[in-house]
This record gives sequence, C-alpha cells and structure tokens, in this order.
Amino acid sequence: MTRGLRFDGVAVAGIGMVRFGMLQETPIAHLARDAGLLALHDAGMTLADIDEAFVGYIQPGSMLGIKAMKEFGLTGLPVTHIENASATGLVAFRDAAWAVSSGRADVAMALGFDKFTDMTRGGGRGAGRDQIDAPILPAAYFALWAQRRMHERGTTAEQFATIAAKNWNYGATCPTAHRRSDHVVTAEEVLAARMVAEPLTTMMCCPPDDGAACVILAREDLVRERQPGRPLVRALASALTSETYTPGHTFVGPVVGPSAMTRATAEQCYEAAGLGPEDVSVAYCHDAFVNEELEYYELLGFCAEGEGEKLVAEGATGPGGSIPFNTDGGLLARGHPGGPTGLAMIHEAVLQLRGEAEGRQVENARVALAHLVGGGSVATVNLLGNEGRAP
Amino acid sequence: MARVPIEEGFFRIPDDPAAQPRLLGSRCPACGEVFFPRRLVCAKCLHEGTEDTELSTSGTIYTWTYCHVPMFGKKDADVSGYGVAQIDLPEGPRVQSILSGARDDFAIGMQVEIDLETLRHDADGNEVVIYRFRPAGDAAHGAGAGS
Repeated sequence: MTRGLRFDGVAVAGIGMVRFGMLQETPIAHLARDAGLLALHDAGMTLADIDEAFVGYIQPGSMLGIKAMKEFGLTGLPVTHIENASATGLVAFRDAAWAVSSGRADVAMALGFDKFTDMTRGGGRGAGRDQIDAPILPAAYFALWAQRRMHERGTTAEQFATIAAKNWNYGATCPTAHRRSDHVVTAEEVLAARMVAEPLTTMMCCPPDDGAACVILAREDLVRERQPGRPLVRALASALTSETYTPGHTFVGPVVGPSAMTRATAEQCYEAAGLGPEDVSVAYCHDAFVNEELEYYELLGFCAEGEGEKLVAEGATGPGGSIPFNTDGGLLARGHPGGPTGLAMIHEAVLQLRGEAEGRQVENARVALAHLVGGGSVATVNLLGNEGRAP
Repeated sequence: MARVPIEEGFFRIPDDPAAQPRLLGSRCPACGEVFFPRRLVCAKCLHEGTEDTELSTSGTIYTWTYCHVPMFGKKDADVSGYGVAQIDLPEGPRVQSILSGARDDFAIGMQVEIDLETLRHDADGNEVVIYRFRPAGDAAHGAGAGS
C-alpha cells in the first residue's frame, strides 16, 4: 500500500521561472540557467549552498540535466534526473522536499525545463508514426473523457468553455503566463474557436511551450536566516501513485488514465498532511484539456461527484470564489512545456502563499494544492502552506 | 502487394482480403481476465503465464469523439477529419481505435465491428494498415475508403 509523504521542517527558499512560450532562439541550457538563477537570487544563495539537485525534462536526450546544472557552476553536487511525463516538475519538487525532510540535504534544488520546439523540429510529435497509437491525436483521449461525461452527467460544452475562459482571464493577470489575452475572454469566444476534437476547441487545449522553472527547498531555519521578514512557505506533504488495475483499463495510448488515480492520490496526500480539501485556499491541477479541471474539482475532493458543474455556475473556482483554481492561467494559459510545468505551479502557489500574486491574489491564502497527472499513468498531489495555515 | 501492420503484435491480418482482422489478446488461466494487447503477467491477479487469445470482431462504443484535423497532420492519410472511440469488447478489454465513418455516424452504446485502414505505403510498396471500427452491419468498406 502506497502512502503519502509528510515533510518536516522543509520550507521554500527560492522560486524562479522564465515566461513560457515559443522560445526557439534560446538554447535549452540558457532557459534552465535563467530560471535557476532567478530562484538562487530569490533564495539569496549560489550553487555552493545547494546540496543536491533533481532535474526533470521529458524531451529526448540523456544528461541534459547534468549539462544544465553546469551553468550554475561545478561544485560536485549529486544530480538526479526525473521523468514522469507531465508530472515531472512536481515529482522533482517532491524528491527535493523529501531530500531535505529526510536530513540528507540542507538545501535541494528542483529544476525543470523543456523545449517543445526542439521536440517537433524533426517532424515527430507524440508517439512515433510506426506505433499503434500514432494515429490518435492526444487531444482525442481527453475529448473521449469529456464526451462520456456529457453523456452521463449532461455536462454542456458551455460549462467547459466557462472554465476555459476563467483560465484565459487568469492568464492575462500573470506576468509569466504564455497566453495573456488583451481582452476579457468569454465562453462564447472559446466555443467559437476552431474545433480540435469534439467538444474541445483550440481555446480549451493547452498551447505547445518552451520554458524552465526552478524551486529551491531548504531547512526552515536556513530559510528564515537567509530571508528574514519574508512570509515562510512550507512544503507540507506529497503523494505519488501509478495506476491500479480496474476492468476496462486501456493499455494502448493511456493518455488519460483511470480517474480513481487522482482521487486516491489526493486522499493519501491529505492524510499525510493531516488536512482536508476544506483547508485548501487555492488549487492547481492538470488542465491541459479543460474538461479535466471539472473532473478534478470532484476527484480532489472540492465537491461531491457530479457537482462540479455547480462550482462552475457559482464561479467558485474563479476570482473571489471559495476555491480558486489555476490562478496563473493553468496549463491552458500559463502554458505546459512538460518538465517545468509542475515547478511553475509551485512558483505561483508560493507567490500566493507569500501574498505576492499581484492582480490575482487569493485573499488569506494559507494552503495551496498542486496536482498533475503524467501520461495518464501517474498522478501526484502536493500541499504547501504558510504560517497562517490551520493546524 | 502485401498488407503489413503499423506495429507488430497487436492484430492479425487475414490472408483473405474480405475477412476481418483479429485483435490479439491474452487470457489469464488463473482468474479468467482478458487483456488487450498481449501481456505475460495478469494485471488483475499477477499470475505469470497468460494464454494467447483472439478477440471478438465487434464491440460497443463506450465513448467517441471526432477529430477535426487530418490524421498525421495531412502527411499520411487523405482524410480531413476522423472519429476515435473507446470500444468495449465482449471479453472485457476496452480498446481505443480510429473509426471509419462520418461525424454523425456514431453514438455511445452503438455496435461497431473491426476492419482495416490503409495508412500509407512503405518503401517496398506494402500497404501499412491499422485496425479501425465501423458501425456494425455497414457493407464492408474498402481499406482507406472510409471517412
């Protein structure tokens, strides 16, 4: 039986990211360097302070993490590569937090980067053209999930579009978001965009992205010492699971995965933290395709099964709502390069918990939740909190 | 000119061009669970040593969608859009597959049956094929003629 991890005395020392987008001209190591230096500056540290690094990316190529780390200097620190598809960045965060919590490191860095524009340069995308699942568009797998929900629950395309518009409008308020609309996006505009796979239009699907993000975790006393006066943000708990077998499991092209996986992972993380969904102030989830966000309202425990649409109607997951979701625009607007995606989530969660998310600050934010799925085959849920958090 | 699968090990192409292809599955001799594609260890009871089985040629649509983009981004198939579904086979496995037919031909719960789609020709002139499903009872489409 897998269990969640509870972190003891682990705080966020620094965060940094480059704004995601199509950054063809910037070498990948420079994206990593720029994000990492921002995090080191934010922490008041240099590489000499880092005991261990966990580096994640999903694009092909071995040793890219080791190469990128040399941009910060060569100090002999251990570097471990992590790859868990879309969940990569959050798993790097989890392992860095555990390295500190376990006592094996005082300070650990989680670094993620990817260049979608490099991945597509050779014309390849997703599964190779000689693989059995090559003809099926990734968006189609999520569209299949959306269509089934519409059939079972009567969910409408307008409800999906309302969530998408919310994330587009959040993106416009976030300086590091890829998609920053110059006007208020409406559900009508989302629905009128080009159809990709029914019911998903281009504005309901995340863009291709390049980018990098970095989070430095350290012993709480070290963080207080380096950054006195700054609100302290702790890493509280993490859970990571892979699929369990249920009848009807799809083994070929498992991009979506069983929804029970997110529910079980969230339960493990809440239990490890001694918290429940009612304690969470702001949440981040895998909204690469917007119907996912509706499902995760329920699977992460923020409402009962079948009541996600009610949260949408109430505006509960938008500005001023009871549980704002994806306040930086999510994968949909902030962007989704792959490796750095989860660390960009943590970046935004930390800004919220420090009270520094200008223009989109969630009032009295105390606990943040970050969730990702990877390749439909893994799920991770992570909790962070500031000193105002409920005991 | 021969027909070759896009990837080996997932389906059998019959010698008779009019016959239907068969998906290659595994059955666990200990618990009876059936899987697609083939696997050695039972995913349900972890028994090692499944038996090969060929799966039914028809099933029921669990969910479907229609992609409004050409398959492979126009390079390989002469279609402007195509359907994709999850199909429940009577033996248990849920199979993800492309569909043969137009946007309005499909519904959840509909019976569909398997045939082959030609994706392209390889350097030796062989037809590279993949399985697809079409509404049950439709006259057999020629490979590649659907959509």
